[in-house]
Amino acid sequence: MAHPKPHYSAWSLLRARLAPSGYWQPLWGTRALREAYDVVVVGAGGHGLATAYHLARDHGITRTAVLEKNLLGLGNVGRNTTVVRSNYLLPANHHFYEDSLRRWRRLSRDLNYNVMYSPRGVLDLALSDGEMATLARRGNAMRLSGIDAELLDRAALARFAPEIDPYRERRFPIVGALLQPRGGTVRHDAVAWGYARAASALGVDIVEHCEVTGVRAQGIAAVGVETSRGFVRAERIVFATAGSTGLVGRMLGVPLPIETHQLQALVTEPVKPLLNTVVVSVFPGHGETYICQSDRGGLVMGGHLDGFPSLTRIGRWDRMEDVVAGAVDLLPGIGSLKVLRQWAGTNDMTMDGSPIIDRIRYENVFLNAGWCYGGFKAIPASGAACASLVATGTTPDLIEGFRLSRFQSGRVLDERGAGPFPALQ
Amino acid sequence: MNTLRCPFCGVRDLGEFEFRTILPPAGSDAIKQVYDRTESGDRSVEHWQHVGGCRAWLEVERNPSSGEVLDALTLGGQP
Repeated sequence: MAHPKPHYSAWSLLRARLAPSGYWQPLWGTRALREAYDVVVVGAGGHGLATAYHLARDHGITRTAVLEKNLLGLGNVGRNTTVVRSNYLLPANHHFYEDSLRRWRRLSRDLNYNVMYSPRGVLDLALSDGEMATLARRGNAMRLSGIDAELLDRAALARFAPEIDPYRERRFPIVGALLQPRGGTVRHDAVAWGYARAASALGVDIVEHCEVTGVRAQGIAAVGVETSRGFVRAERIVFATAGSTGLVGRMLGVPLPIETHQLQALVTEPVKPLLNTVVVSVFPGHGETYICQSDRGGLVMGGHLDGFPSLTRIGRWDRMEDVVAGAVDLLPGIGSLKVLRQWAGTNDMTMDGSPIIDRIRYENVFLNAGWCYGGFKAIPASGAACASLVATGTTPDLIEGFRLSRFQSGRVLDERGAGPFPALQ
Repeated sequence: MNTLRCPFCGVRDLGEFEFRTILPPAGSDAIKQVYDRTESGDRSVEHWQHVGGCRAWLEVERNPSSGEVLDALTLGGQP
């Protein structure tokens, strides 16, 4: 039976304060694995939990299990740099991420759980006139679709983010920036916990330490999954396994246009507020740095992929050096801060840098994957769209461009124009 | 994995090398060669280039789960 789920409010906080101990309950119920489900979702990360939540809330499918081989939220949903934005060039991408950004805005209310959406703006810096032209093109494409984008010259940038001091002399002077004001950050762990709590309250079984090892099928349909805890029957199966998707492809016997690469991030010791926005800067010749300040005060930063396929979750040192060098170039004052933690996540990099939500191999098996390094910001839209596909059997218009067949037909969504090289996306 | 042994130059810093591509499946059609990947988890055969050194292309066999380099050969297969 599910735990009682109190509605969170100022009133519930007060009641908790006055109540004897034991008022707070676990966020999601621990339930036994049943023999059969309408839907089995593999992977209790952001996308898996959001899919299960929307299946229950929007489509009334509550006989759902989310199976997780490890613990909930320990994968990429807890390893990203928490940035949300919809500043993409290609319409298929920016419409989708814009849907997501709108959902982020109301997610705390929808889930009755504070995910701390903070629209502090996302700045893409231009270090040359050529880059400024590229950013103007991207901003124009966004504005044509009704998405907020502002091109800032140096003076406007100095007004918006004086902490960057664009007038300061640098090896690569800052020319301007593209700003998406509604972009920002969301507390990533709260997203996993909030979705888990909401899904669990709707009757979804979340089962940790249950590894899926295979799919059992009869003809063109799957009948269930083999797990470390035995066979589980399922009408439909959804794989939302992020960095393990390459191995899922192998399990299903389907080669995928996916390579698993690593992306690392790091956070400094907490300091008083000194950066009030998210800054992304690509430095000619030595990589990329994006940086923001968490609510605790730590400066969270990341950069390019490590550059070669890997499942180790151990980042390479020279990449970390690139990221830190870029951060110190942006904010020279942080040079003496200590790095508290550094970590890496495995990214399911597709050949065009855009995601895949589609059927795979069997008519009732679905793949929600290929999120590259941009999966976190996609969670709300991905969950809703994937649940719609699973429940109705038809692909929503929003994710029509994300079908697997695009690699056969040539209608790839190559956002960066980098060609079929996952390491360059 | 912070170094790689180039068959021509010896052990060098990983930063001197650039990963190029996973070797495509042999004998299949063009689209499959470009897009299809089958991950084994324990063995990956790749082309790398020693861009910061002798610029030779290398055939590198690695274990992507442990990061261990199993073998680094010249394109002709010489150690």
